[in-house]
Amino acid sequence: MSVSSSIASRSGAQERMTARERRTRFWQMVQLVPIMAILVLLFGGALVLAILQSLGFAPWFGVNTFPDFSYFGALWGSSTFWVSLGLTLYYATVSTVIALILGILLALALVKTFPSKTFYKYLYKLPLMIPYTVGIALAVLMLSNGGMLSRLAAFFGLIDDPAQFPQILKTHYGWGIIAVYVWKQTPFITLAVYAVLLGIGRETEEAAAILGANRRTIFFRVTLPQILPGVVSSTLICFAFNVGAFEAPFILGGGFPDTLPVVAWRYFNDADYTLQLQGMATVVSIGLVAGVILFGYLAAYRRYERRMGRN
Amino acid sequence: MTKVQLNAVRKQFGGFVAIENIDLEIASGELVALLGPSGCGKTTTLRMIAGLERPSGGAILFDDQDVSEQPVQDRNVGMVFQRYALFPHMTVEKNVAFGLSVRGTPRAEIADRLEEMLDVVQLGQFRHRFPAQLSGGQMQRVAIARTLITKPSVLMMDEPLANLDTKLRGEMRRFIRDLQQRFGITTIFVTHDQVEAMELADRVAVIFDGHLAQYDAPDRLYRQPANLDVADFMGATNIVPAAMKADDLAETGVGAIRVAPRPGFGAGENVQVMLRSEAIDLMITQPTQGGVPGKVVARDFFGASVNYTVDCGAHRITVTEQARRLVEVDTPVWLDIDPDRVWLLAS
Ligand SMILES: Nc1ncnc2c1ncn2[C@@H]1O[C@H](COP(=O)(O)OP(=O)(O)OP(=O)(O)O)[C@@H](O)[C@H]1O
Ligand SMILES: [Mg+2]
Repeated sequence: MSVSSSIASRSGAQERMTARERRTRFWQMVQLVPIMAILVLLFGGALVLAILQSLGFAPWFGVNTFPDFSYFGALWGSSTFWVSLGLTLYYATVSTVIALILGILLALALVKTFPSKTFYKYLYKLPLMIPYTVGIALAVLMLSNGGMLSRLAAFFGLIDDPAQFPQILKTHYGWGIIAVYVWKQTPFITLAVYAVLLGIGRETEEAAAILGANRRTIFFRVTLPQILPGVVSSTLICFAFNVGAFEAPFILGGGFPDTLPVVAWRYFNDADYTLQLQGMATVVSIGLVAGVILFGYLAAYRRYERRMGRN
Repeated sequence: MTKVQLNAVRKQFGGFVAIENIDLEIASGELVALLGPSGCGKTTTLRMIAGLERPSGGAILFDDQDVSEQPVQDRNVGMVFQRYALFPHMTVEKNVAFGLSVRGTPRAEIADRLEEMLDVVQLGQFRHRFPAQLSGGQMQRVAIARTLITKPSVLMMDEPLANLDTKLRGEMRRFIRDLQQRFGITTIFVTHDQVEAMELADRVAVIFDGHLAQYDAPDRLYRQPANLDVADFMGATNIVPAAMKADDLAETGVGAIRVAPRPGFGAGENVQVMLRSEAIDLMITQPTQGGVPGKVVARDFFGASVNYTVDCGAHRITVTEQARRLVEVDTPVWLDIDPDRVWLLAS
């Protein structure tokens, strides 16, 4: 039983249920028990602990002022928190959008036939198998002052000295962070969209062309609505990862104010272990923000699907 | 109203030749069927006419204008796909209006023509449904409506009836025929069902392995197939080898048969003789002249008609007749064959 069907049937819950329907409902619930148990114990448990700690419950540090909203108060009261939040969302959104556009373009190209297609189909997946840390190292090698690009630019006389190369890494524009995310996530989105594209086939696009639609119209009115489920699920995953990711902004970011995961890490790593609670408040804040945004995104998509008549 | 011509059109996929030099001329307003076994190149031919596939050689002409270089969007053709290819995210209404809306037709005109079209295909009550909520026949009517609303000058249909049940098939055949006559659109449709081809088409193009085997009116195709393959594909049952004794006499394994002379099949030639099963009379008594003697060995009853298998010595001959009477198995019979309905084929 899929989650969507249980959501769909909820709207009709007010209508009277027959005994048989109630029994079916009961068995559906029973079948969900194993997965729910894992979800509740592993994730729910950790979440509850995090929330408790952020509200001042940490007897193992000798702190127990539960319920205490001062950690959130201190966090949300400082302007740097909001700058950090803005940076976090900015990196996550920009890289997801760029990866999405590139991913769709790549997937559209891959459904066409062209010479040595098989080779390119392997090539584009390469970043998926390489860890983020390697990607970050590559970014340092390529993009930093004194990196490959700056040396090449100097070699070709575009600049006099590699040091004059424009600062790409360690700025709050975050081009290094965005580059790493895009490099890693474009293949992921391509993979998801490509699979959906193969599923829908070329016939509806051909039908649209015969009916007189140009390529732009075909994409926006025929292809895009059909690949939307793939777009939504893959961007959801990428965005959620980007909001919570730590290594790239830590190494390639512009320093204070950092993104929220880096802020949390700094609290956790502080010699003053009572700052752990402040860190937990940061983590819970990230969770809240990400949760609200993802929920809003999904709700908007559901509304769109309803309008399309899908249930 | 467009005349369509294919001049020596070829199509190659890599090293594989799908279509080999096909010449075809379809008159304005004509309904032509492309008939052939699976994989013979019917869909490929349609796709080239539509502009979805580029011919590897030759030219395609609409009203004597070469359209080989013209993109799909500008050809003003219509195509009903085998699996309909409806837009799954649009309602029936949106599907049907799509062609007009992408051409920038004014809203009021779209609304008018949409009503008219939904009326023609009787889909008014389903206008707000999505394709997934329709039956096969309804989806097909949406596909046809979506195409016809753009007033294409050439209408193509790729096995439009393949996915329908027998009853619906009959209805849709009549429906398509009516529409075609009403709008007078040059129509090309693909089928691998010879009965469907004969019932619907003005002319039938039989394609084997990328070659055009015969292009003729249904009755000629049925009675006078160009070669053994076509005869076989058109469901001929009785084909026996023979030697021509005279221009109008063929010596077969079951005796001498009077035939209608055909140029190029003179005395001394070795030929194949095609006897259409419904053109043979089954006689209980020996006819005054001629008549091939035999014995009924099997009877297949189909309600309105009966098939008899008659053992005539060297060959078994199938005879079809109206089920007005029933002849018992083992009855000695004579076959009376009308010379005008005997067709000679090259060996
Ligand atoms: N894109 C393609 N690439 C390679 N070969 C192709 C391609 N399209 C068709 N063919 C080949 O060309 C031949 C003709 O195909 P086509 O689809 O025209 O057959 P068809 O007559 O429509 O058959 P069916 O009745 O099964 O639909 C087939 O052998 C097919 O394998
Ligand atoms: Mg086909």
